Amino acid sequence: MIEFRGVSKTYPGSLHPVVNDLSFEILDGEICVLVGPSGCGKTTSMRMINRLIEPSEGEILIDGEPNTAMSGTKLRRHIGYAIQQIGLFPHRTIADNIATVPQLLDWDKIRIERRVDELLQLVGLDPAQYRGRYPAELSGGQQQRVGVARAMAADPPIMLMDEPFGAVDPITRNRLQDEFLRIQEEINKTIVFVTHDIDEAIKMGDKLAILKEGGVLAQYDTPEKILAAPNSEFVSSFVGADRVLKRLSLLRVSDMELDSTNGDGDDLPRISERTNLKDALSELIGAGAERGVVVSNGDGARGTLSIETIRRLSHQAEAEQRYE
Amino acid sequence: MDSILKVFQRPDFLAQLVVHIELSVIALLIGITVAMPVALLVYRSRLWSAVAINTGNIGRAVPSLAILALVFPLLGFGFAPSLVALTLLAIPPILINASTGLRQVNPQIIDAARGMGLSNGQVLGHIQLPIAAPVIFAGIRTSAVQVVASATLATFIGGGGLGELIVLGFQRNELAIQLGGSLAVAILAIITEVGFGLLERAFTPKGLLVTSNHRSK
Repeated sequence: MIEFRGVSKTYPGSLHPVVNDLSFEILDGEICVLVGPSGCGKTTSMRMINRLIEPSEGEILIDGEPNTAMSGTKLRRHIGYAIQQIGLFPHRTIADNIATVPQLLDWDKIRIERRVDELLQLVGLDPAQYRGRYPAELSGGQQQRVGVARAMAADPPIMLMDEPFGAVDPITRNRLQDEFLRIQEEINKTIVFVTHDIDEAIKMGDKLAILKEGGVLAQYDTPEKILAAPNSEFVSSFVGADRVLKRLSLLRVSDMELDSTNGDGDDLPRISERTNLKDALSELIGAGAERGVVVSNGDGARGTLSIETIRRLSHQAEAEQRYE
Repeated sequence: MDSILKVFQRPDFLAQLVVHIELSVIALLIGITVAMPVALLVYRSRLWSAVAINTGNIGRAVPSLAILALVFPLLGFGFAPSLVALTLLAIPPILINASTGLRQVNPQIIDAARGMGLSNGQVLGHIQLPIAAPVIFAGIRTSAVQVVASATLATFIGGGGLGELIVLGFQRNELAIQLGGSLAVAILAIITEVGFGLLERAFTPKGLLVTSNHRSK
């Protein structure tokens, strides 16, 4: 668990803090996304966790211990760190890049080699083909995969990721996000993820910490709660006018209570129960139908879902909105 | 041609060649020993590296002969004053390239290194110096060639070297001795250039030589 306790950062010679009295907890095994407009202090907040930046006030506890209990270098060797692709060492092979922290921790050679191959496999790069290459020989997407593998190398319980998928095109980015979520299901790390992109934050985060200018925490909650009930004008406008649709994209058809089929399903559009509600709504509107038949992975019809049900769900959430 | 070859067989040729090489090698070594630590001290600060680079540039703009002429009234005549003058010539190219090379290392690469727990010394030794190595070596090469060529002038303040032969040739009006001396300097300079070129390549990490064969996707 990572705990921010009244953390502020003011740079010398500046009157205004970049991070202002931040207090919140990040639970083990969760992806916490720090998100906000530029100048909101999200990167600074992240960099205070591994002490690349020292707070001016307050403290950060990791598993109950202040992060100042050991030296900064030692602390950083036990916290994964991934930034945009440019952070790979150009003069080192992919294998040596990934091996950076294990080498610092004096792992033996064979263990390092095995770990490198395992990680390359995990991020979808063939070890035989890629371990001896240099960063300049890889595409942007491949470099970012290596960056993530490098951050995971010594199996740190905590990983800090600063826009790790920032420097690639939207399609590659989407794929890397999906891959990473799949990997996270296996490795179950505590991850602090920084992005300025609210869509990426909603997709990746178990929790979102929305920061506003001046480094003030505007809202900290699950994406569902934030989309359903933004606590201020700022959060509401930051998550966007389409927040109702964004929220629908977080819910799956299989999570819904379905109506019975009544045997009249033949001419209705079919919706896989694994699609999200936003896509389901889109399909229904596109097909010009009020209802669709929900089918499970095989072929069995599970019930029907109507636009009315989705409307009611969204409206309820709207009604719960509490600010002002 | 024969007469030039005969010059190479003169007893004083070998002696002056040795002095020439001695002057050059020692000046270069002292130059590196002075320039590298200064570069390491200044490269982090924009102001101080600008000061170092500009001082270096002024140093490079002063003609070799002028430096020798300046050293003479201060330090007198002989091998040591020549060495001082040549060292002053050796420093600027190394200082300029080393501070520029270290500054050019992408800050995000350094951030990643620090973020993974490399100490400041490790960042410098494992990351910055290897990445800056080609630029630093190019500076040493420039410096070496310049020193070898300028050592010819040491003869004017009694430093010896192959310049002695050229001056001797002038004094005796013997073209062969003049040419022999000049040729020897030229060959020495070329060997230096090529030799350091090979060193530069050897010290360039392989990863910096590969060019991207992928478009980023």
